[in-house]
This record gives sequence, structure tokens and C-alpha cells, in this order.
Amino acid sequence: MAQEKEQMKETSNAQRPTPNVERSEHPTSGVERSALNVGRFLWRILDFVVAGIFIYAGVLKAIDPVQFASDIDNYKLLPWPVSVAIAFYLPWLEIFCALGLVFRFLYRGALSILSASIVVFTLATIAAKARGLDITCGCFGHASQHWSFPAHLATNLGILAGLLALLFKATRRNRLQNSV
Amino acid sequence: MKSSLVAQAVILAAFALLPAAGEAIYFRDKISWRSAIAPSEMVTVEQAREWGNTAIWVDARPDDDFANDHVPGAISLNEDRWNELLPQFLAAWTPGKKTVVYCSSLSCNASREVAHRLRKDAQLSDVFVLEGGWEAWLKKKNR
Repeated sequence: MAQEKEQMKETSNAQRPTPNVERSEHPTSGVERSALNVGRFLWRILDFVVAGIFIYAGVLKAIDPVQFASDIDNYKLLPWPVSVAIAFYLPWLEIFCALGLVFRFLYRGALSILSASIVVFTLATIAAKARGLDITCGCFGHASQHWSFPAHLATNLGILAGLLALLFKATRRNRLQNSV
Repeated sequence: MKSSLVAQAVILAAFALLPAAGEAIYFRDKISWRSAIAPSEMVTVEQAREWGNTAIWVDARPDDDFANDHVPGAISLNEDRWNELLPQFLAAWTPGKKTVVYCSSLSCNASREVAHRLRKDAQLSDVFVLEGGWEAWLKKKNR
């Protein structure tokens, strides 16, 4: 009897949520657990979608760095040698960061770099438009050559929204883990 | 991976350097670090001189600069008056002739743009950009 009491005491302690950890991270019921799994699955899908976009964009640019250097030069913001250096470097950075999202390796670093790069590209596109330059952004190689300015902007903002959502989620999870 | 966000970003940035350096070596003959023109589309003053009468010179600088001085026999063709000047150039051009386009200096873009338009709009082949432009010509004209 005393042993049974002790067992019950242990069970109730185990089920009690840790004060610093959200309840959703430790679901008690099957419904909560499956809802959590669906949530995790959707976040993972978003990881793959964003990673796929950057791998596609990165590979297109990596196989034709000459064209990409020319696209960067069209913005008339940077000297030619800098455009060349970026044309060689940026596609690989995008590919590595995208792989970071897929394999959850250096995850938050990858998200921050991709967010920063999309912000820079968006600002450069807006600046080019404001100066009346009719240019191709070069973001997706020749595939984006005939995109209109609103299409560029909408695509970039959509990707940025996905990245920021993932970054917010990852930062929150990291804080929770650190607080336990 | 519990390293800080900045450390993670630095590691990724460092990883990307390696394939980028490899690609830069692989493409070294297809892209120039000094100018936006591919090495195969550039010509030096010495090379262009050797072509003699088989080359036609095109001055892509503004009209005032052309009026001041230009390469002997050069034809003015700039983007400001493209539609007006192109027929004059085409009248002087004959098939088989190489076209050498120049602008002020190494850093100017006009020769590159004009050469690009001659290839694209006028469908000409054998269009070259003079390395160093008018400045290089001046330095070497008396040698």
C-alpha cells in the first residue's frame, strides 16, 4: 500500500509541467501530441520549401557566375571586381545555408544569413527601380529575367516572411531549451 | 548545435569560401576581375594596331570628346545618338572587318555597352573592346 502511494506520487510529479517549459512542448493527451506533430511537420515543410527555393536559385547562379556578375553590375551599386567576388561567393553561401535548413545544421545562422541576403536584394531592387534602371535581378538566373518589379518584390517578401517565421520559431525554441 | 547565432553564421560563411574559390579558379579565363568584358572580347592597343586596315575603330565617347581628338579614321558611335550614328557606321563597315570600340579609360562602360549593342542589335561578330580605351591609345600612340 505504501509502495503504491509512492508510485502514484512519482507519476503525478512526472506529469506536472516544468515551470519554465511551455505546456505545448510536453503534451499530455493524444490530441495535443498529434496537434504538436502536425505543427512540427508543417514547420519542417516550410524549412524544405525555403531551402528548395535557395538551392534552386543558388545552383542557377553557381553554374553561370559570368551572367550573375553582369546582373549584379547592372545595379550600378558596386565596382566590377566586387560584383565578380559576390557572383562566385553568394550562390555557394545560399546553397550551404539552404542545406543547413534541410539538415538542421547551424540552423539559426543559416536562417539569419538568408534573411539578410533577401533583405539586401530587395533593397537593391527597390533602389534600382527608384533610379529608373530597367534590370533583371538575377535572383533566379534567366528564369527571373522577365519578372516585373511587383513580382520580384512579392516573391522576395514572401520568402522573407517564411524565413522570419522560421527564425522566430527557432529562437523561441532555443530560449526555452536554454532556460530548462 | 548550441553555438551562438553569430558563430553559426561565421562558420557557414567560411564553408562557402572553399567552393567559391574553386569556381573562381575554374572560370578564370571566362571572366575578368578588372573589367566586365570577357578576356576573349578585349584587345590591346598593340594587337589592334597589327590588324591595320582589317579593323574599323569606333569611338564610343560623347560627341565633344570625339570632336576634340580621336583615333585616326575612327567613327563616332555613342549611345546618346545611337539611331543617328549607327547607319553611318554600317556604311563604313564591310564584312570580315574587325570592330574595335573604345571609350575614355579602363573604368568606362560606354565601349562595353556599344560593343554589346553592335553584337546584339546589329548582329555583328568580331567586335572587340580596346583595353584601357583612349588613355591607353594616347600612351602608346608614339611608340
